[in-house]
Amino acid sequence: MRAIFRVARATYYEGWRKRFLNGILVFAILIIGSSWVFTYLQPGAELKMLIDVGLGSIRFFGMLIAVFLGSRLVPDEIEKRTIYTLLSKPVTRMQFLLGKFFGGLATVVSNMALMGLTFYIVFMIKAPQFAQPTEDSPAYKMEFMYENIAKAVLLSFFEMAVVMGIAVVASVVFSWILAAIFSFFVYFTGQMSEFFGHLADPDTGASPVARVVLLTVYRVLPHFENFDVRESILTDVPVIWSYVGMTIGMGVLYITIVLALGYLFFNQREV
Amino acid sequence: MPAGVQSRRAARVREVADIALAIRTENLTKIYDVGWGRQHVGIEELNLEVETGQIFGLVGPNGSGKTTTLKLLLGLIFPTSGAGEVLGEPMGDPRSKNRVGYLPEGPYFYEHLNAPELLRMYGSLFGMGGAALDARIQELLELVDMWDRRDYRIADYSRGMLQRVGVAQSLINNPDLLFFDEPTSGLDPIGAKDIREVILRLRGEGKTVFLCSHLLKEMEPICDNIAILSRGRLVTEGSVAELLRGDRLRYRLELREPDEELLAKLQGNAEEVLWLEETCRLLFADRQAAFDAAAQAEDEGGYVLAAGPDRRTLEEVFIDAVGEVSVDASDL
Ligand SMILES: Nc1ncnc2c1ncn2[C@@H]1O[C@H](COP(=O)(O)OP(=O)(O)OP(=O)(O)O)[C@@H](O)[C@H]1O
Ligand SMILES: [Mg+2]
Repeated sequence: MRAIFRVARATYYEGWRKRFLNGILVFAILIIGSSWVFTYLQPGAELKMLIDVGLGSIRFFGMLIAVFLGSRLVPDEIEKRTIYTLLSKPVTRMQFLLGKFFGGLATVVSNMALMGLTFYIVFMIKAPQFAQPTEDSPAYKMEFMYENIAKAVLLSFFEMAVVMGIAVVASVVFSWILAAIFSFFVYFTGQMSEFFGHLADPDTGASPVARVVLLTVYRVLPHFENFDVRESILTDVPVIWSYVGMTIGMGVLYITIVLALGYLFFNQREV
Repeated sequence: MPAGVQSRRAARVREVADIALAIRTENLTKIYDVGWGRQHVGIEELNLEVETGQIFGLVGPNGSGKTTTLKLLLGLIFPTSGAGEVLGEPMGDPRSKNRVGYLPEGPYFYEHLNAPELLRMYGSLFGMGGAALDARIQELLELVDMWDRRDYRIADYSRGMLQRVGVAQSLINNPDLLFFDEPTSGLDPIGAKDIREVILRLRGEGKTVFLCSHLLKEMEPICDNIAILSRGRLVTEGSVAELLRGDRLRYRLELREPDEELLAKLQGNAEEVLWLEETCRLLFADRQAAFDAAAQAEDEGGYVLAAGPDRRTLEEVFIDAVGEVSVDASDL
């Protein structure tokens, strides 16, 4: 535990030193911070716009950071040769990999928390006016809104943890560039994993072979769309805790499997 | 493990039972796969034995496999075939890590830290902490002359400063066995001398030091034993004294530009005559012949520069050994 924590802590601080990540963070905060400007451009759909831009940006920029940081955590250690002194000390490869993952995750989550905070502030300033009816839109109830937004941000933390796990493990197996591309690919296809599930239905008329392939893709892909609760927020339906818990649980299970696979590769890997 | 290897190993263990070995390798081989079916030889069939308490030098030209050997012993890379033991455990075994220190070639560390923070992090990996660790950190940073510059971030270090902190971190756990890969590279002459003194001091404390370098002039005075690698193969090994003496000890007489008449007289008893610019070196089978020749040269108005045992420099041994391999290789 001590070794994992030490590696994670060093990784966390190193993560903050990455210029391009700082760039993404600043850009994301600018976008989220100015999202109220967009709402004026779209009268009538202001609330939808605000939530789309806000939560959408947190997820999108969080994902960018998770992929770019995650896919470089281990390769950078090898390239810069910082790994040599570390692995020659009482640090097992498992501890090293977990330390990198949790340290990187802490960086991603703190970046996203800053974005989330910005969004919350913007929302708090802006929200009271949605409770008032206007000429072109009725008033929103806003009963579950704040709580739902907090849950949405929490879900996106775990979503990015899955993305990060995939990126870290892919970078152990491939080069970091390939790992980044692979992670993006998994992320975007994972957004529509339900779609693959539907295609595999017997009544779509797909051939048995195609159905097996589609079903495998459906089973293997992380179901990222489950982490997206914007629909519920907009309709002001409560996002229930059991759903949040279930989704997070699936995410944690997924991460565990991915990291275990990654360890099998990393244990064989030459540094 | 095949039965043959096991019984051979058992025989070896019996043979050397009274000498504690810090490191032993058996037919250790590393072939790098570089893709498209091409392969690079790292090391081939390397058999080394390093006794506890000695300074062992692994020397060889660039790309001869020194770093490869170290990385194998530390479990950073894995052998293609063969085996090795470090402090009685199979190489790469986590159990030996507590007693080992490693200075990699061109070391590098987390940039956001300064030297005391870095050493504290490493120390804590060994379960060290508190005032004892702080004292150890100060001691080590003073040892490598970095205590005055302890506030500098690693990101702002010069090459030599990295090297110094690299040495300090390798000693944090007071290890019994040290692996130093090119320890003086990037260091100024004073820094290099300091490190050599550190290495000698470590031996004084009973520790084993495994040194890789191609700086023969630095290795010669401090190493007890030396192994010379060339193209991944061990070409010579032995104690420094043995290597410098050659197969048998001869005696030399050096004269400054002797005239032909004198040279003709002395040459008769000499085994070999070499010219090194204006110096003429005559080699004799025994001490008496050399000193007789010296007396004769003095009598006849020759200018004697030196007379004594014919010790080669490590550089000469090295060039001899490595040169032979290159010729062998071109014959293939
Ligand atoms: N990761 C690698 N992939 C492929 N080949 C490698 C790799 N590392 C080393 N080699 C090859 O193995 C051989 C030995 O390299 P090694 O780094 O052990 O040499 P060295 O003796 O340490 O040299 P130097 O004095 O330059 O440090 C070289 O031919 C090198 O090209
Ligand atoms: Mg080397």
